[in-house]
Amino acid sequence: MASVLANLHPEDTVYGDVGDASLPRRFSAAPDALSAEYKVLRERAAILDLSAHLLIEVTGAEAIDFAQRVLARDVEYLTSERCMMSLVLDESGQVVDQVLAFGREDGILLESSAGAGARLLEHLRTHNDEGVEITERDDLTVLGLEGPYAWGVVGRLIDGELAALPFESVVDTTWNDSEIIFARTGFTGEYGYQMLVPKSAVGELWTQSLEHAQAAGQDALELAMLEVRQPIPRHEVTGGANVIEIGANWLVDVTKDAFVGKDAVLEAFEAGTGRRTVGFTGGEGVPTAGTRVYAGGEDVGEVVHAVHSVGLGTTLGLIRVDADLAAAGLEFTVAGSEVTTLTSPYIVPKSWSIPII
Amino acid sequence: MTIDELRAKAAERQQTCTQIKKMIVSRLDLEIEPDWITDDQPLFGRGLELDSLDVLELYVAIEAEFGVALYDSEMAVFGSVSRLADEVNPALRAS
Repeated sequence: MASVLANLHPEDTVYGDVGDASLPRRFSAAPDALSAEYKVLRERAAILDLSAHLLIEVTGAEAIDFAQRVLARDVEYLTSERCMMSLVLDESGQVVDQVLAFGREDGILLESSAGAGARLLEHLRTHNDEGVEITERDDLTVLGLEGPYAWGVVGRLIDGELAALPFESVVDTTWNDSEIIFARTGFTGEYGYQMLVPKSAVGELWTQSLEHAQAAGQDALELAMLEVRQPIPRHEVTGGANVIEIGANWLVDVTKDAFVGKDAVLEAFEAGTGRRTVGFTGGEGVPTAGTRVYAGGEDVGEVVHAVHSVGLGTTLGLIRVDADLAAAGLEFTVAGSEVTTLTSPYIVPKSWSIPII
Repeated sequence: MTIDELRAKAAERQQTCTQIKKMIVSRLDLEIEPDWITDDQPLFGRGLELDSLDVLELYVAIEAEFGVALYDSEMAVFGSVSRLADEVNPALRAS
């Protein structure tokens, strides 16, 4: 599925297939495109084409009961002014997707991660014991704004008062006579916002956004997510790793009575064994996922995901190693080179020291 | 470094992290087991969803428990439990 904005993107935009979607990885084929887009995201304000995030509406008398059962976090009191990030798990505790859940007057609206919409939709439909209505909202799409000065763009583009909304607040508003859902969110630790927009209006909103911000693609977004240890399911849910091994506990609410996958997650947690994920830097080149990790000559795990970090100027990645070795400040050997494990965040977001004014 | 030395070094950090997690759960009266908090998860906004009032409580708690005053520190020290561990136990950074 191509981006609804594809006809507005530059001709040399580099696209990539992620799950069921084709999305813009970089908005230029120039060698420094990733670096430039990353710097916009970390230093100014980036507009993000998130049209590869599918929106799924759940309505009906038992919509909240259904959502409460299929989402790993507690959404019982999620009002239409709030949203929250949650994992969706299967019975074995495996991650189906990481979603953003928006409370709505008549149910709940779920936003899939990039390219994971079809799988999420199928999972929801096969778990629909309550007989709720599950609708793909293909009339809507998603734009994101992230960066230390993204709040200024919100002010110039929509309404300054929306910029200072508390984190995970949601407002139904209008832009250019179109009804949009506006939310304070964020994946990168920077000030972040999302706009759920009718497809009929998104082209104009994208074009006007470019007057105040620069576009950043999926590569820059995922790099910035990695730097603040925001889970990226498509890279991290590999090799049958469970929630505990991924380290995504915070996207699961174990105090909730019941949800799909809870028993499996608790079993993994209580066992306390297996592997854990920790960040690393250094080494020569960028190792591929699955590259073995050695400690004192012993095989203790594998590389989960690694990239070249523009911010660090070297390799940044995640390794999954034996639980008793999953700590920062250790030296391991990856592909013949020495790497060092890190504490997160690996890059401190500029937004943490910049107030919204 | 041998694998046993690496395990010992990891255990030292994990012990400090566990102490911090117990302090957070106790002081903020959270309904989760301390070990449910991971060493690297975000603490504010995303993650543990602590707010500015919680930060004030943690300043006091950290000084009482570890004898370290973080009042003038940047927010980055609260970036994760592991990052806090570096502050309350500087030996972890030096080693």
